[in-house]
Amino acid sequence: MPEFATLASPYSMPAALHGDVDLTDPEQQTQTRALNQFLAGVELKAFKIAQAALRHEDDALDAVQDAMLQLARAYSDRPPEEWKPLFYRILENRIRDMQRRRTVRGRIMAWLPVRGEDDDEEFDPVAQAPSLEPQPVRRLELDEAVGALEQALERLPRRQQQAFLLRTLEGLDVAETARAMGCSEGSVKTHYFRALQTLRAQLGELYL
Amino acid sequence: MSRSDESLTQLERNAKLVLEESVRRIDGRTRSRLNQARHAALAAAGARRRAWWASFTLMPAAGAVAAALLVAVVLWHREPAGTAPMALDAPHATAAEDMDLLTDNDSIDLMEGWDGSFYEWAAAQSDAGAESNT
Repeated sequence: MPEFATLASPYSMPAALHGDVDLTDPEQQTQTRALNQFLAGVELKAFKIAQAALRHEDDALDAVQDAMLQLARAYSDRPPEEWKPLFYRILENRIRDMQRRRTVRGRIMAWLPVRGEDDDEEFDPVAQAPSLEPQPVRRLELDEAVGALEQALERLPRRQQQAFLLRTLEGLDVAETARAMGCSEGSVKTHYFRALQTLRAQLGELYL
Repeated sequence: MSRSDESLTQLERNAKLVLEESVRRIDGRTRSRLNQARHAALAAAGARRRAWWASFTLMPAAGAVAAALLVAVVLWHREPAGTAPMALDAPHATAAEDMDLLTDNDSIDLMEGWDGSFYEWAAAQSDAGAESNT
């Protein structure tokens, strides 16, 4: 049917976008592959970090997407070892912008009638798909641990939370964390130490 | 780059394990959206590189246009009186001398007041002088 030929498949986006990249140039091919590998390696952790800061899944996804685009557009020709601190710096700026915007929106919405957040939520089979999970008892322990840690992290001041997640989850060293946070190494050490103290007070040493 | 596990306290080790577990639990919808975002970023990086190369391929044409404009401006503003005299080769030099004679007022007066007797007398005088000397 010729009239259906123009309809794009919902799964065609990545392939079409791949087609936009000129794969004839070996140097460009290498750089594209390196960038893909880097982004694939950080995207899930970046999402968790953004989610802890924003406490909203869609906002966290938007922040990570913006950070990826900004890194690719502005810094993809930088050496790959610089990408991680740059990426988290961009992400942090996006998170801060969203928090500011949310504060303004919250002030405006306070004057408007309340509407349920999940009114237009549809069933998503992908989101509901079962994943590989550990055994039930272990899973219960992990559920409790994840829940307790996420709650404790949400209560941390923003800078302490950021220092803790970048150091513990992403594994950045002090210098890289300082570059990502845009502050001195001394400040990173202070934020991280205070975060640890607070978490230890709330969770204990052996909470897992 | 990453920190070694030996240097971590028990709390840090446990927190790392739990955080990694929470990353593993990220649902399929979120993973799919992150995947799409990554490919969009890769496409943006490719488009940026293409734009850079396109600017390079247009440079010869832009240079040619700029050179043509420069020549046009120089020719337009050139002062004819200020130019240095040009050396002329033989045929052009003769033509220039002819023009010089034609435009010289004294030469025209001499032609108009042509007196053939004077030249005949002068020639006779020079012949007579030569005979008397011998």
